[in-house]
Amino acid sequence: MSISIQHLSYIYSPGTPYEHKALDDVNLQIEEGKMTAIIGHTGSGKSTLVQHLNGLLLPSEGKIHIFDREIIAKQKPKNLKSLRGEVGLVFQFPEYQLFEETVLKDVSFGPKNFNVDEETAISRAKEALALVGIGEEYYERSPLELSGGQKRRVAIAGILAMNPRVLVLDEPTAGLDPSGTRKMMELFKTLNKEHAKTILLVTHDMEQVYGYCDDVIVIKQGKISTQAKVSEFFDEGNEIEEMNILPPALLRMKKMLREVGFKLDEEAKDIQSLAKEIAKQVKKHG
Amino acid sequence: MGNITLGRYIPMDSPIHRCDPRGKIMAMLFVLIAVFFPVGWIGYGILFCLISFTIVLAKLKFNFIWRSMKPMLFMLCFLLVINILVVKTGTVLFTIGDFEIYSDAVLNTLYIAVRLLLMIMVTTCLTATTKPLEMTLGIEDLLKPFRKIGVPAHEIAMLISIALRFIPDLIEETQRIMKAQESRGVDMKEGKLKEKIMAILSLIVPLFVSAFQRAEDLANAMEARGYVPGEKRTRYKVLHMQMRDYILLGASFLTLVGMIVLSRVI
Ligand SMILES: Nc1ncnc2c1ncn2[C@@H]1O[C@H](COP(=O)(O)OP(=O)(O)OP(=O)(O)O)[C@@H](O)[C@H]1O
Ligand SMILES: [Mg+2]
Repeated sequence: MSISIQHLSYIYSPGTPYEHKALDDVNLQIEEGKMTAIIGHTGSGKSTLVQHLNGLLLPSEGKIHIFDREIIAKQKPKNLKSLRGEVGLVFQFPEYQLFEETVLKDVSFGPKNFNVDEETAISRAKEALALVGIGEEYYERSPLELSGGQKRRVAIAGILAMNPRVLVLDEPTAGLDPSGTRKMMELFKTLNKEHAKTILLVTHDMEQVYGYCDDVIVIKQGKISTQAKVSEFFDEGNEIEEMNILPPALLRMKKMLREVGFKLDEEAKDIQSLAKEIAKQVKKHG
Repeated sequence: MGNITLGRYIPMDSPIHRCDPRGKIMAMLFVLIAVFFPVGWIGYGILFCLISFTIVLAKLKFNFIWRSMKPMLFMLCFLLVINILVVKTGTVLFTIGDFEIYSDAVLNTLYIAVRLLLMIMVTTCLTATTKPLEMTLGIEDLLKPFRKIGVPAHEIAMLISIALRFIPDLIEETQRIMKAQESRGVDMKEGKLKEKIMAILSLIVPLFVSAFQRAEDLANAMEARGYVPGEKRTRYKVLHMQMRDYILLGASFLTLVGMIVLSRVI
């Protein structure tokens, strides 16, 4: 277990009239090398939870174990900076963190903060930019002149360039167009599969959970309500409806097809294979 | 940053919360002026009791006031040191080596501390019990008489209300950007000078970008809804002075008069 969280609670503005318990006795195990989705309604505490993983927020109660580090409530944490190098956190709307004169400088800002020398930082920045699909022609442009989607990708490259072991993404595709979203998700899949990065993805999109993730964690009002494998998660149909989660379109489609008499035994995982399956049956009964 | 309490509105229901903002602003001014009169410890004692009574009425916690005061403590310590170095009157309290500390130095600092505390208590009574919107309505109405001599009352009130509206947003934005940059390895607290400058830059630039963006969005939104500066506008909320407002005004005015008299007597 690379990341384990025990009895974690977090209270915003304790001791004031604004006091708010955003996390309540959270227990979690997150496996290394997996892509895990964190879902839950707005205000359920997803962002609060992920900010604990790189020590931006410190637990009010409980403890967090990340690799060989421990963050324990009410104890002064050691070496937060090196933790931040290992757990790269991409915020909701990360484009607001861009500040350097040029794209290349901005992306190499992260590695430089971790005492990487100039040359290595630049080469890592170029690699990261290539990964997110930002071409050389943009290196010397001001990040503030880019389009929203490009800014987002540059900001994500800024974290990737730090070469973290774990990548935590807080709604990275919010506000992107469908093709931008798909490219972004493909990138995360590549990072997970080929670069062996552990990925935590906060999302509202069930298609992303179903299509890309291995595990899923459901947060409800600051508590963990479910943790499961994605493959099993959507099988327990009724429970999902109880949680007010709309299953992915593909599953809904399959369900409707079954209801009108199609016999879909094969595990069609994407739209193409489902289409083939349907075509086969239609021909048979032609 | 998240613990800034000075000037924050506390949503609650109390007699003071229900008072007319104009009455509260005037009452606060009266008492603030009263604090400036040299009324001695007795005077300050009376003021402290009166203001504390108001705080209790407003259902505010003293803890809250204390936390507004905390940021000032550093300044007060600084003042104490200067006073100790400069003031050489009164009796000698104690000596450290060759250095003598006089009673007036400590007394003077204490005096200022008490005044500061009283001022914070009074202003908190106003800001914690008055919604920003009501505050601006109150300010606008109080400035109305000055319109004849060219004071743009409505515009000033609009400016203040926009500024008040944006303070929490900007604080939140600052925290967000700080966190984002800390995730990129920026150390906001320590570091060499060059790193500090980078840290500040990484905070200021995005903050300005987003502030200008917000300003532009707001300007567009206001224009789209037909706002023209200086044009006559109808009001959604009309303020009414009630009995309790007159009582509050009367009481604070009496306090002011009383303190003026007391300062003459002493
Ligand atoms: N800085 C803060 N101070 C006080 N309360 C906060 C703060 N940030 C968040 N909260 C509260 O904590 C709760 C959890 O917030 P959080 O941002 O973690 O939700 P979320 O699950 O990420 O929601 P979303 O899907 O909208 O991003 C919310 O009720 C929110 O109002
Ligand atoms: Mg969130």
